[in-house]
Amino acid sequence: MEGPRPGFPRQYGPDRLDHQPGIPLFPQEATRDLVTIFLLVAMMFFLSAFVTPFLGPARSPQLSELIVPDWYLLFSWGLLKVADIFPQFTIGAGTPLKTEFSAAFWGDLLSGIPVIFLLVLPFIDRGRESRPAKAPFRSAFGIAFLIAWIFTSSLYSIREVVAQRWTAPNGTALIPDGTMKWFFVIPPVLVGLTSYLALRRLAFAPMRRYLVPYVLILTAIVVAQAGAIAANPAALGPAQPFFAEILIALAIVVVPTVLTAFFLLRAPESTARKVSTWAGALGLLAFMGFYGAVAYLDRPTALGWVLSVLWPNMNTLVLMPIFAIGTAWLGTRRPYSTYEYLLNECYQCGKCHTVCPVTKVEDDALGGLNLVYNTFKKQHDGVPLWTCLACDACSAVCPLDIQYSDYILEERRKVNAAMAADGGRRE
Amino acid sequence: MMDTEYGPGRTIPHPVMFRVLDSEADDLSIPEIRVEHKSEFAYYPGCVDYYDVEMQFSHMNYGDTNHGIIFDSSIKLLRAVGIQPMILDRSFMKCCGHDQLWQGKVDVFERMRDYNTRIVKMLGVKTLITSCAEGYRTFRLDYKLEGVRVVHITQFLFERGLRIPPQPETAKRIRVAFQDPCRSGRQMPIDPVFEEPRELIKRVDNADLVELKTFRGDAQCCGVAQMMYCNDKTKGLTRKRMDEAVDVEADYLLTACPKCLTHFGCLHHENKWKPGEERYRYKVMDITQFLAERLPGDWPTGSNIDQRRKEPPLPGRKGGS
Repeated sequence: MEGPRPGFPRQYGPDRLDHQPGIPLFPQEATRDLVTIFLLVAMMFFLSAFVTPFLGPARSPQLSELIVPDWYLLFSWGLLKVADIFPQFTIGAGTPLKTEFSAAFWGDLLSGIPVIFLLVLPFIDRGRESRPAKAPFRSAFGIAFLIAWIFTSSLYSIREVVAQRWTAPNGTALIPDGTMKWFFVIPPVLVGLTSYLALRRLAFAPMRRYLVPYVLILTAIVVAQAGAIAANPAALGPAQPFFAEILIALAIVVVPTVLTAFFLLRAPESTARKVSTWAGALGLLAFMGFYGAVAYLDRPTALGWVLSVLWPNMNTLVLMPIFAIGTAWLGTRRPYSTYEYLLNECYQCGKCHTVCPVTKVEDDALGGLNLVYNTFKKQHDGVPLWTCLACDACSAVCPLDIQYSDYILEERRKVNAAMAADGGRRE
Repeated sequence: MMDTEYGPGRTIPHPVMFRVLDSEADDLSIPEIRVEHKSEFAYYPGCVDYYDVEMQFSHMNYGDTNHGIIFDSSIKLLRAVGIQPMILDRSFMKCCGHDQLWQGKVDVFERMRDYNTRIVKMLGVKTLITSCAEGYRTFRLDYKLEGVRVVHITQFLFERGLRIPPQPETAKRIRVAFQDPCRSGRQMPIDPVFEEPRELIKRVDNADLVELKTFRGDAQCCGVAQMMYCNDKTKGLTRKRMDEAVDVEADYLLTACPKCLTHFGCLHHENKWKPGEERYRYKVMDITQFLAERLPGDWPTGSNIDQRRKEPPLPGRKGGS
């Protein structure tokens, strides 16, 4: 009998039927927005028709080797550049309906995808809340695509600069084109999953179920990649004389990741959190120390060769350990002081005070003692906490669905724990 | 911090009962369990037996609130829909821990939860039926009973199609009001028990369901939750709620929660201080008792009437004992 049944309304969450605060998107909000949009469009048409700006002569491609648009359009340029990985063909040749699936077509399509996602997203994630911790899917999606994806595609638009600037001692690019193409996929996905886990954790969800497989998969990939490099030194080519340094670098990357994954799997959450903190911090220090030591110890080319092994595998060997350890920390850490975060939504509309049964009989409350507000603000003498019946009448009318009785429970737990710590005596 | 102008009694839970329950939680040894009817359905009566023994106005102490009959009625009703449930007796189960949880004794609650979960899993229970609103909430939300379906008894009876046979022609029409317990109603994010008790009451053909001034999700509190304290303020709340039943001229005030029954029963009993001047002329009982009384057949454990009682209880708090 899971799920809603006819005649049995759900009481909380987006499905609750008794009341939905706010104004509906359609038709009320949509009408207002469409009027504004049409006004703006009309103004733009008017200006472009009657006040045409002078744009100047077009820039000649012969003047510069590297053509880039303004910075905010770099992502689109990067997508156009990467579009040749898609199959290019023509359908309907010789007919009026001839369509050319060229790199330009795919690039335009790719540039449109973020916009399409933005349009579709409100229909996928229908939560009422817009704060990140209350809307983790939406927020993680935004961070992954609107920040990480746009950053990596912008980076790809200047791939020539990257290839020139960072080179191995023999002149080949440190970050080859294939690695940069994978930047379109791996970093955004990692950023998205990590943000989702961290935001759910921020909203007090136990995330172990998601966290353990995620970190284990990342660790397995890192270990497999590092093992493949270490097992076959002959494949390293000109970097082979620096095999010892390469092994040290691989160990610095692998050991903290494996440690974190192991403790996450086998130890309690608090231990796993501490291990991930220390493993991450010490791993970072060790990497920086290694970097400095190799560069300082009279062998400047060695660093270049080590990086020529690490950097082409940046997606796996550099990003995945960082995300594995970082996610383990974010997913096991304790959120802010419990319930204050959730109660911060309260905008003191006072509905809870109106329905609270205690205020009808309590002498203190008749003069305006708001149990909810005063307990939250700690402006009380301890009475509201223990006068509360936890009948949840306040939560039932709350426009923001604050689960006040959960907060009362948490506060009572704290008081009892403090009493136990004092040997059972009250302050 | 917690000493108030009302004195410490204000914040102390019922002292003896809760010390007993707390110390009981420390004993984690599992006694021998004798299962007479092996079944995937289990019925958990909760702590109604404690109430009958501890409460001054209870049936055992010559009051007129009978908690034990909830248990008998539930078994009778479950048999009427063809279920012979395992009875999760208090001899090997612990208290569900609701009161300890809401008094802030989370460690005690967790011990009780782990113990009870182990027993429930050990007995292979598939459906856990409870006649108590607090038990329903606690087992459903605060326990992690994967694979065990937790239902309130009214949900189960409704779903199994409990039939109440036609009442005799001589039976006069009665007006029945139902108090929605907060724990099974507005505190349940999933499957709140609002409609099922009302549907069951409508199946009694001489009963007219009347709604109190506040009902379903808006239902006024019965006055006390988690047995924290009993004072004039909580009595005031209980009185407000019982006055609503007077206003709709109810003949019966039903509830699905033993705690509501306790506090309604308490005030009901106290108002007999002056005979003939009682404020509440309706009967207060649990919905299971109401339904079971309208079914033919015997009570499962014989009768639940106190054998020591030879005459009606004297008015007053002590019940004349």
